[in-house]
Amino acid sequence: MLREHTTGPILVRGQGTAPDWGGRAEPPDVVVETNDLNGVLRHDPEDMTVAVRAGTRLDTLQEALAEYGQRISVDPARAVRGASIGGLVATADAGPLRQAFGSLRELVIGVAFVLADGTSVRSGGQVIKNVAGYDLSKLLHGSLGTLGILTEIVLRVHPLPKATTTIAVSCSAAEAVRAGRALVGAAIEPAALEWSDGTLYVRVEGTPAGTDDRARRVLDLVEAGSRLSESEARAAWDRMAAVALADPGDTVVRLGTLPSATAWLVDLVARLAERHGVDTTLTCSVGTGIHNARLRQAAPGRHAALLEDLRKGLAAGNGTAVVIRPDGLEADFPTRGQPPAGINVMRAIKKRFDPGGRLGTGRFAPWF
Amino acid sequence: MRADVTRDFEAVLGPDGVITDPTQLRAYECDGLTGYRVVPGLVLLPRGKDEVVAAVRVCARHGIPFVARGAGTGLSGGALPCADGVVISLQRLRRIVHVDVENRRAVVEPGVTNLDITRAVARHNLYYAPDPSSQQVCTIGGNVAENSGGAHCLKYGFTVHHVLAATVVLPDGTLAELGGTSAQNEGYDLLGVVIGSEGTLGIVVEVVVNLLPKPESVRTLVADFDSVDRACRTVSAIVAAGIVPAAIEMMDALAIEAVEVAVSAGYRPTAAALIVELDGPRAEVETQFAQVVQICEAHGTSALRVATDDAERAAIWKGRKAAFAAVGRISPDYLVQDGVVPRTRLAETLARIAELGAAASLRVANVFHAGDGNLHPLVLYNEARGELERAEELSTRIAELCVELGGSLSGEHGIGSDKACSMPRQFGPDDIAAMRRLRTAFDPDGLSNPGKVLPTPRLCGERPGPYRPHPLEAAGVIERI
Repeated sequence: MLREHTTGPILVRGQGTAPDWGGRAEPPDVVVETNDLNGVLRHDPEDMTVAVRAGTRLDTLQEALAEYGQRISVDPARAVRGASIGGLVATADAGPLRQAFGSLRELVIGVAFVLADGTSVRSGGQVIKNVAGYDLSKLLHGSLGTLGILTEIVLRVHPLPKATTTIAVSCSAAEAVRAGRALVGAAIEPAALEWSDGTLYVRVEGTPAGTDDRARRVLDLVEAGSRLSESEARAAWDRMAAVALADPGDTVVRLGTLPSATAWLVDLVARLAERHGVDTTLTCSVGTGIHNARLRQAAPGRHAALLEDLRKGLAAGNGTAVVIRPDGLEADFPTRGQPPAGINVMRAIKKRFDPGGRLGTGRFAPWF
Repeated sequence: MRADVTRDFEAVLGPDGVITDPTQLRAYECDGLTGYRVVPGLVLLPRGKDEVVAAVRVCARHGIPFVARGAGTGLSGGALPCADGVVISLQRLRRIVHVDVENRRAVVEPGVTNLDITRAVARHNLYYAPDPSSQQVCTIGGNVAENSGGAHCLKYGFTVHHVLAATVVLPDGTLAELGGTSAQNEGYDLLGVVIGSEGTLGIVVEVVVNLLPKPESVRTLVADFDSVDRACRTVSAIVAAGIVPAAIEMMDALAIEAVEVAVSAGYRPTAAALIVELDGPRAEVETQFAQVVQICEAHGTSALRVATDDAERAAIWKGRKAAFAAVGRISPDYLVQDGVVPRTRLAETLARIAELGAAASLRVANVFHAGDGNLHPLVLYNEARGELERAEELSTRIAELCVELGGSLSGEHGIGSDKACSMPRQFGPDDIAAMRRLRTAFDPDGLSNPGKVLPTPRLCGERPGPYRPHPLEAAGVIERI
């Protein structure tokens, strides 16, 4: 169909939970909706793998896997809005569980996708351990629909932990980084370490006895910590997810730094928020150095000015910024800064996979 | 090699950075896959990343193919030289550049051995997790090329999960830092595709690796079973209980026999020995280990041995990691194969391998990562009795069997030159064409380790199948040892 009937820009749309993630695409001639491209193709609980059509919602899949005591170990905030697995892979989205499990980059073991000329391609396979050929699923991860349209995704699953508990610790960002380091160094293996607005939340998962023991050890190692009830914990994690989710009119930027630079970033953002008069909230994964900054709706131009200053600061500190929701930015605001190293190879890859430049045109502008 | 080209290399590397003497060149004619040998035109020994850049630029200028080489322990012929090209050895790039204890990462040169990384950071109670059995000798650069796993990859993943950034010399001689300081990188995941690309997309000259704290507790057991089938069902039960051990390994009777002859590690003769190791927070490990013991007993283990101290644990692993070399004690020659099947089909696969072995009148010892279905069948043969061809056919057949059963041609060792011709069994023409698009984007002139990973008509003939002499062999240019 793609090959024969159309020639202009093509956009892929899943559940529409991240329409302008990374960069606004050019108005398309063709929109490929993946809503009906959903369903589990194959679940092998004993092999710990599951294959799904790319339009499948993550939350639906998690429900189905839970019946087998399994899960995909990824918790992006927008799953609650029904985000599709294809969309999550294409945007390289993830959540606090990245502390223990990384992102979908680590969890996808095979993909099928369609190129702009209609060619169907498969990469990887059904088994977790596989080094045959090039791992094109890594190439598609984070590619924002600019190389191919994902149609099938094979993922590795993990056992659903039998117990989970959250400890809240009152502390500054700098103290949170130190505490996080101490907890990881003590081999407690926290599942998540998120700091926001004066509190570090430590999530521990495992067997009931083991989780209890580790929670106690966390409390021993930190000052001013308290174990939350189940409902308190749920509320806390939802509050932090709300920062990444945001509301219409907000701008959300995902930032990457060295974990040890978290406190520096928190200071920088606080100063810029004050300078530009923007109500800004930050959540920080203190163990992995990935953070979300939500800029609440403000007078025109304020978000852009803040972002420009932020970008300058990040360049000095070797950090990265991706605009995952651009509502408060003008349509022509350059969401991309300096191109990354290897940009020539990226352009070459784009040219070879999509010579007509049709897929997701504009997502990576002005780089290509 | 043309004199002017040799001079150009000597100009940028110095005369002691270029090997021209034929006797010395032969030292680089093969890697761990010793049945295939090709003498390279030259061997280059750069001392640092700038010299690697300079060397690759000379290659690019003259259109000289190059093959990067670490320790040469690879088992798929990934470092097999090109007769008309150069080998670029990374053995002189072996500095540990920087250890960042706070952020738990280290910057290392590609020639550093896998285990030396752990040794360098051990005093901070840190270690580098991926642990291929050759880790004392193999280099991190090689690990990156193959996306190496090791026994503990069941819990800890592969090289790609532990590399944060890499500086690569692209085939046109430009230097690019892939990945970066932060875990969030914009654009395409070039680092993710370079890891595991077997030296075909450029040469890695610096690696930033992730370090982990040593686990609080480690518990290891060996459980004997009277059949592989029973042992496999035990593994299934462990997985079904929601336990993810750090490692689950299995050895069959022949492998155990070889191991005990070679290193006396305390294994008893039995049909299948299952090694299970758990690590992590003490309370978790204690709870789950007790469950594992119970599951082994419920599945009829004939003997169960729990390591009570580090020495016993070390002996168990010494035995397992020596298995490949050990079969050399019970057979004059052997081929190591590497394939993956879905874990639930392991017992079935081993039965089929036994049938295939019987049909070929060759013994096959089996060592495998029972947790993830990655098999290492060891095809035993006697070269002197003319059994090599039959052994190679059997080995290829086993690899292709794994694909038939829903698995993969390779779990760890890579495709290299050994399995390039089998790739069409696992991937369709459009899949392989897509891989070629990627490769050409990095290497339009086809200079970076050509002839590896993807099939070419020249190497494979019109169709993959039973063994055919390599064209260079038929021409008398290379020989089979």
